[in-house]
Amino acid sequence: MSMNAALEDFQKAYYERSAFDVAQFLKTDPVDRLYDFWHSTSESRVEHDVGNAVNYGLSGIERGEAKGWIDVLVDFWRASDKIIKADQSHNQGKLSEQQSVAVYEAWKALVTTLQKYIGNGTLPHWAVFTLSYVANDLRKFAIQADAQLAKAKPATFSTGLSDDIADTTPKNQKLEEAARVFSRIFALCMNDRNPNMYESRKWAVYCIANLQFKTYFKLKTITLCKNLIKSIGAQADMPAWELYPKAHRVTYMYYCGVIAFLQEDYQRAEVSLVNAWSFCHRESTKNRELILTYLIPCRLITQSQIPSAQVLQEFPHLQALFGDLVRSIKKGDLAGFDKAFAEGEPEFVRRRVFLTLERSRDIALRNLLRKVFLAAGYEDLKEGQTEKDRIRKTRIPLAHFAAALRMGSGGGQAVDDEEVECLLANMIYKGLMKGYISREHAMVVLNKKGAFPGTGV
Amino acid sequence: MHRSRFDTPSQAASAPPAKPAKVEWPPPVREYVGRAFEVGNAIAGISKDDITMKLREIISFFAERSQLESLDWPTYPLPQEIIRDERAAAKALAQQNTLFSPHSGLGNAAVDTPQSKKRKSQDKTELSGSADASIPPWRRTNLESRITFTNGPNEKRHKKNALSGDLSSKFDQADLEKRKQRFQLGKNGNNTTPPWSSPKPDPDADMDTAPCVGTNMSLEKSYFRLTAPPKPETVRPQPVLEKTLAMLRKKWRTDKNYGYMCNQFKSLRQDLTVQHIKNDFTVKVYETHARIALEQGDMGEYNQCQTQLKALYAQNLPGKPDEFTAYRILYFVYTCNKTDMNDLLAELTPADKTKPEIKHALDVRSSLAVGNYHKFFRLYSVAPHMGGYLMDMFIERERLHALANISRAFITVALRYVTDELQFGSDDECREFLESHGASYAIEKKVDEHDAVQLRVKVKEAASTFESLRQAAFARVDIKGQI
Repeated sequence: MSMNAALEDFQKAYYERSAFDVAQFLKTDPVDRLYDFWHSTSESRVEHDVGNAVNYGLSGIERGEAKGWIDVLVDFWRASDKIIKADQSHNQGKLSEQQSVAVYEAWKALVTTLQKYIGNGTLPHWAVFTLSYVANDLRKFAIQADAQLAKAKPATFSTGLSDDIADTTPKNQKLEEAARVFSRIFALCMNDRNPNMYESRKWAVYCIANLQFKTYFKLKTITLCKNLIKSIGAQADMPAWELYPKAHRVTYMYYCGVIAFLQEDYQRAEVSLVNAWSFCHRESTKNRELILTYLIPCRLITQSQIPSAQVLQEFPHLQALFGDLVRSIKKGDLAGFDKAFAEGEPEFVRRRVFLTLERSRDIALRNLLRKVFLAAGYEDLKEGQTEKDRIRKTRIPLAHFAAALRMGSGGGQAVDDEEVECLLANMIYKGLMKGYISREHAMVVLNKKGAFPGTGV
Repeated sequence: MHRSRFDTPSQAASAPPAKPAKVEWPPPVREYVGRAFEVGNAIAGISKDDITMKLREIISFFAERSQLESLDWPTYPLPQEIIRDERAAAKALAQQNTLFSPHSGLGNAAVDTPQSKKRKSQDKTELSGSADASIPPWRRTNLESRITFTNGPNEKRHKKNALSGDLSSKFDQADLEKRKQRFQLGKNGNNTTPPWSSPKPDPDADMDTAPCVGTNMSLEKSYFRLTAPPKPETVRPQPVLEKTLAMLRKKWRTDKNYGYMCNQFKSLRQDLTVQHIKNDFTVKVYETHARIALEQGDMGEYNQCQTQLKALYAQNLPGKPDEFTAYRILYFVYTCNKTDMNDLLAELTPADKTKPEIKHALDVRSSLAVGNYHKFFRLYSVAPHMGGYLMDMFIERERLHALANISRAFITVALRYVTDELQFGSDDECREFLESHGASYAIEKKVDEHDAVQLRVKVKEAASTFESLRQAAFARVDIKGQI
């Protein structure tokens, strides 16, 4: 295939001014699609061939811009070369870490070139979205390279003049480097002073920020996300939020929500997650599931609210993840809660909801204690009172609660009396139960009105 | 204070000496310089600037030693020849990928030429010369800065003075400026890194350093941060280090002088590192230092040891990984760092969780997470190993938390109840705690029907006191946790 034919899709995409289609042309997955372009030239001829194809193929293109695209396509060809060779080695089971690194480096060159020409205004403004796709691939290549590097040299000696023996150099070297590339792209978009909002690179701020979030989560440097959110919040002349594509907004809100969630700011997390939820495409099941993964534990904390059976039914993954836990909470079944919590632990920890869900045990406990309260029944009617005046017994012996707790705990772990008092004190302290404990009388005296706020009694 | 002390000499060095006496160079030197610039003697790839540089080095080297007269200049190799040989040697050595040998190797290559010392003053243009292209620039920089450290600024200053203003003024003033900056840089770098500070991610870490083999036999050694490759005679081999560790352990039991101990452990760790000793003994050293640091509440040193231990255990070296994993859990309880705690929990295997130390730490964590102070204080009293020292760091905070909790749920309680629940050693200790936190007003004496005096705490009255104390205690730690 000739170079001209190989670049046909690119030319079409270019004439359409479609950032997405250009990005599609620069896609590397599946690798097969690179072969035509790859075969159309060689390392020694690539600059010449691409140059000709662009200069003669794209009529009316300005010289400077042509040079920009030529450099981009040449970089893409070189990256393709590395990718194809790495893929071939991979198929033969002898992919070396140098090859993975070479792919990453070649792709980084492409990203840097795009960034350079967008930054100096050589390439049209819409190319910034192409850049966002290409940068996302850099993230993938960096992860692959790091994985290969980690495999190649598992443990190293600390050398040089450090005092300590173990090497503490970071394991995600390439991804960390990529993160720095992304923050330069972010600055490129954020600091665009072009007064013509139609052409502003500020339109790419959220999609680049999302890419950075993803990277920081992978690197476990989540604190860096906060700075990003802050810097966007501090920017005055951003286009109106509603005008951004939903895809950018939903992802951004999702991450803001998760970040607030991890900082234990559940109120703010809930607002962001609800926002993400309401704009998320109905058919993006996976994304909706992700949002709920955090929104459900969040609501448990903010409103002591469990998800409806209907919601869980709609998302089988969430049913598997939270189903047992939610049922135990509802029933006030502490043993069931502990079991479900222990079983789900690895997955909860992986999703970073473990420490939050742990706190929902309080709701299960509250529901159990509430049952004791209900079981105590009503005070006898006094002279002149009617059924309507019946009030519940509010003085309940500690022993009753202790019995319930011992039953609830499956009879296994013995809960001593002091611990029962402690657990009840906690309920009162957290506002889940109103009243006080009298140690002298071994009684719990509950409020006559609203002993368990928000539960109707 | 420091600044002025360090700035002064460099300024003195850079200031042109007042009216220097004009130096008459001996004729053979002048002829040598002349020959260096003869077209016929030019070597491809070596610029005039390179030659100028090298000339200056050579002349100043011999001027310093007052050998300008005595040297046999007509037979001495021309600067361009020296540069060529140097580059070839550097290339060869770079291919071998050994770092320190270029340094010594060059010294050997031309014994009585100044190269070995003078590498530092080679200009960047030369460094990027064709022959050197295979050596990555960072490696050069390191070598250079290292030598700057080694020789120290004094020698440079000497040399410059010896050069006398006249000759130096013939050379590029910008070069001198560059040198001056480099020289200051080196100094500042030295200055801002106190020897006791934690090792920063070292730019040297990527270098291959052949392990040193120590020959020093003394048990004690003061710690100094390395600024140059260590000399074998200052480094102790493992058998000596083993004796050192035994000696230190004994000493710690008797005199508890932590300043001395920490210093000795740091030099011990350094000796292990430079000799690439990474075995169960290494683990033992770090474990011991970590425990002593814990006992002393030196969290900086403790954390350094923990980081190292984590990496050492990861290589399956024998030691007490369970004990130290438990400490890490307790430490994150202390810092309230939820993100790190989550990462740590993610690392634990089901088998880990059944280990007594780890299980204890996990129980501590969960009891606090759900506000079960009763269980928490029971766990405090049975903390294994040095766990108690870690828990001591947050016990006061948790006592205030528990009091805030109790004061919402009870109206008055016996002081004894607080003593027992919060694991105070005695009623008096409990009372002191309450009094020192400004809650003495809540303590009342009650005489029962048998005339026995019982102390009671009117917790409800002190609820707001406890709550604000609790908030203050946690606010402090939240800040710490950010680090």
